[in-house]
Amino acid sequence: MTWWHRLFNRDRLDSELDRELSDHIERQVADFVRGGMTESDARRRARLAFGGDVQITEACRDARGTRWVEDIVQDIRYSIRILLRSPAFALVAILSLALGIGANTAIFSIVNSLLLRSLPVRAPEQLVIVEGGSWTNPIWEQIRDHHAGLFGGAAAWGEDRFDLASGGVSDSVDGLWTSGNFFDVLGTPAILGRTFGPDDDRRGGGPAGPVAVICYKFWQRHYGGAADVIGRPLTINRVTFTVIGVTGPEFVGPIVGRSYDVAVPLGDEPLVRGKESFLDGRSTWWLDILLRMKPGQTIDQATLALRGAQPQIRQATLPGWDAQALKEYLGTPFVLQPAAGGSSQFRNQYREPLLIILAIVGLVLLIACANIANIMLARANARRHELGLRIALGASRWRIARQLLTESLLLSVLGAALGLVFAAWGSALLVAQLSTFRENVFLDISLDWRVMAFTAGVSIATALLFGMVPAFRAGRVEPNDALKEQSRTVSGERRMIGQPLVVVQVALSLVLVVAAGLFLRSFAALAMQNVGFDRDALLVVNLDVLKSGVEPADRPRLLEQVLAATAQVPGVARAGLSAIPPMSGMGWNNFVEVPGGAKVSQRDSVVWFNAVTPGWFATYGTTLVNGRDFTATDRKGAPAVVIVNQAFVTKFLPGANPLGRTLRQPSYGFGGNDQPVPTWQIVGVVANAAYRTPREPDPPTLYLPFDQSEMREAPFATLTVRSALDNPALLTKSVAAAIGTVNPRLALTFLPMTEQISGLVVRERLVAMLAGFFGGLALLLAAIGLYGITSYGVSRRRTEIGIRMALGADAAAVVRLVLSRAALLVGLGVVIGAALSLWASTFVASLLYGLTPRDPITLVGAAATLAAVGAFAAWLPARRAARIDPIEVLREG
Amino acid sequence: MPAPKSDLPQGTLDLLVLKVVALGPLHGYGIAHRLQQLSKDVVQVQQGTLYPALHRLENRGLLASEWKMSDTGREAKFYRLTRKGRQAMDSEEASWRRLSDAVGLILAAPEGEVP
Repeated sequence: MTWWHRLFNRDRLDSELDRELSDHIERQVADFVRGGMTESDARRRARLAFGGDVQITEACRDARGTRWVEDIVQDIRYSIRILLRSPAFALVAILSLALGIGANTAIFSIVNSLLLRSLPVRAPEQLVIVEGGSWTNPIWEQIRDHHAGLFGGAAAWGEDRFDLASGGVSDSVDGLWTSGNFFDVLGTPAILGRTFGPDDDRRGGGPAGPVAVICYKFWQRHYGGAADVIGRPLTINRVTFTVIGVTGPEFVGPIVGRSYDVAVPLGDEPLVRGKESFLDGRSTWWLDILLRMKPGQTIDQATLALRGAQPQIRQATLPGWDAQALKEYLGTPFVLQPAAGGSSQFRNQYREPLLIILAIVGLVLLIACANIANIMLARANARRHELGLRIALGASRWRIARQLLTESLLLSVLGAALGLVFAAWGSALLVAQLSTFRENVFLDISLDWRVMAFTAGVSIATALLFGMVPAFRAGRVEPNDALKEQSRTVSGERRMIGQPLVVVQVALSLVLVVAAGLFLRSFAALAMQNVGFDRDALLVVNLDVLKSGVEPADRPRLLEQVLAATAQVPGVARAGLSAIPPMSGMGWNNFVEVPGGAKVSQRDSVVWFNAVTPGWFATYGTTLVNGRDFTATDRKGAPAVVIVNQAFVTKFLPGANPLGRTLRQPSYGFGGNDQPVPTWQIVGVVANAAYRTPREPDPPTLYLPFDQSEMREAPFATLTVRSALDNPALLTKSVAAAIGTVNPRLALTFLPMTEQISGLVVRERLVAMLAGFFGGLALLLAAIGLYGITSYGVSRRRTEIGIRMALGADAAAVVRLVLSRAALLVGLGVVIGAALSLWASTFVASLLYGLTPRDPITLVGAAATLAAVGAFAAWLPARRAARIDPIEVLREG
Repeated sequence: MPAPKSDLPQGTLDLLVLKVVALGPLHGYGIAHRLQQLSKDVVQVQQGTLYPALHRLENRGLLASEWKMSDTGREAKFYRLTRKGRQAMDSEEASWRRLSDAVGLILAAPEGEVP
């Protein structure tokens, strides 16, 4: 019989053992009777000869080698009984652990998915990415055609938003332009149909025509998982593609934090962008290049190999820049980076906040642990009699300690189980919060071994943290003392180990409240930052002109008609066109030179550009402080004019009258050196306004007339509408309809400006929200802790207080007595916490806006909050102490 | 007056039990009885040690057991030697003999002589 059988057939083994031993005795009795004894004598002698049957039974059970498991089971059953006896305590403990462990698991599962997990592809450790952001297609083609043999494989991709609608409001999905061997190099096969081959990547489409591979989720969502999806048409940016394959459910793309919906070969790009194709753009940086190293090749060897080919690659792909920029282009060495976890902007953006939040939830769990440890200590004290009895009956001290530890473990395991439920729900909620209008965030937060190991580790560590001290102290119970001990004492609290715990709690919660204060104030400062225009009434309409099918030369006319049609819509107060939508994260910058202006280094002479129509400033509510707005006469052919903002004047023309001054775009600009140098005359000055993000409220900016800039022929433009209604989003339908009458194929994306801005501060909002929530939770937990320890103290000192009152102490004196002790604990905690905060806050400096990490107002506010909450938590039991009836107390004794 | 009884040296009970059971399947009472007979009442085996030893040997796979109808008309648990048990018995026996020979030699050495 194996060990497992012995473990699980315990009852049968026990009954067999009984039968075996009684068989022995029966035989002995029979032998004695045969020797001439009476039955009863024989039975007595046989029993004597046999010895203690309980000991023998136990010794035989020990021989099975399953005793320790049975003991554990017994401990657990006993623990369950103990917990059921005080369900309120069990519920509070399990719930607070579930919150603590759940929060830790939720944050960790995001950390895991964003920072730790590998791409679900073949041998992800062989993948490296060519660092430095994006690359041009000519560079990729050089690597693909001449140097791929240096490595195990090379692939490229570019991210895009694909529009599945045939016109009007866009039906955008996350798209990937990929090289022909992209899926092969990554090693992710299709589960249905096939992935691309090199033939599909021919320019203008391969033998199968324009083809698309779709992701599993898109297949489910868009096609309902139809088995006959292969061969179906899919309209992407007005071009019909054929679906040829579906990738597996685990692969969501090469970028962590994003999931692709549809992938199409790079070679099909000219079909969509036509003459404006990026494929030959030598300064169009839009691709990521991924290399798979040969087996055994190290990243250093791969870097050396790529650098060996670098002169050829760079020389064959020179952009049309001036000599100095080209020299830099040729000289910059390629750098490779491990890419087992895929690539992600998102990761860099969120690494720090995530780790900070992980630390915060860790501290919250610690505070919760301190509470439970306190209750456990109080309970262990109340159970001294029981424990003393068990020791007197022969239980070893280790066994007693183990029993208490089992109770702790049981609590934390139950807490962790419930916590996993909270975590699954919480992390999904968090990830949903991360998505903005610009990007759908997708993170695979399913439980994997790392998360499970983390949660198990956390729950065991928690149990040890709050169970160790009570268990250790219980093991030291002296049975004599415990059994003799009366249920009441006059002496003050003996060995009140709970007090240092409360000090720690107060200190840690102060740190968390300070963190919450810093992040909330940062976010408020950012959200209420004056951006230089009136954001509430604005509706931004991004126009994808390319999809209109209108030739570049005719686009200015199309846009003019769109603007005119929009202005007619009821509810539209004003409307204007611009090249770049403000606060979208997009930007257009260039060098500028101000003859006779302030000396500014070349590096510092880069300013933001935009091209706007007359009335655009009025639409945004940006004040014109000097000169005039653009007019309809500022067209192509008329004198080139420009409007600048006040920050521009301060930087380049301090103290001078800017009107009438001339600006130039110097030859070292990005525009190339064969074009004539553009020059403009300043005709107006406007108030400062944020350009890209509310973090920079007043960057020097230069506005060109839309009709004079080359942007009027660009494949995209932005229409901004000022609504006369309360909610600008209500205009979406009517504006879309008006534009549809001008050109039904034009693709439109609508977004209220307020939403666009909140999309830029998602990170700050999330950190503030989480820090605020957990700061509040920490405060609550600390208050409960202080309340608990004070009430406990009062209940233990009942007799003492009663005697004091009998001797003449009045209620106020009793309240003072209780409060003074609590004040000491809180005061000590606040001092330690303040010191900790001053040290810890420097780590979050990079996430703050508009205040310093050691912001005194935040620190004082947090300390005051904690003192107030602490005073309230201690006042409740103090009031109860003051109502003690001395007569009653004295009668009890 | 019964003969003086000796305690068993550590570890020898297992060997004796194996040896007894090697003669044929036997129940616990039978084993105790046989041990006493074989050792002519010199060796007193306490039930308190015999049964745990039987269970230990069974769990180690040296003995196997079976409930069979016995002479009393009730079922009894019969132990028998397994192949593994026989091997263990042989090697235990050999090492016991070596030890007892060595001890015998030392005890037989004349007193007073220092080799």
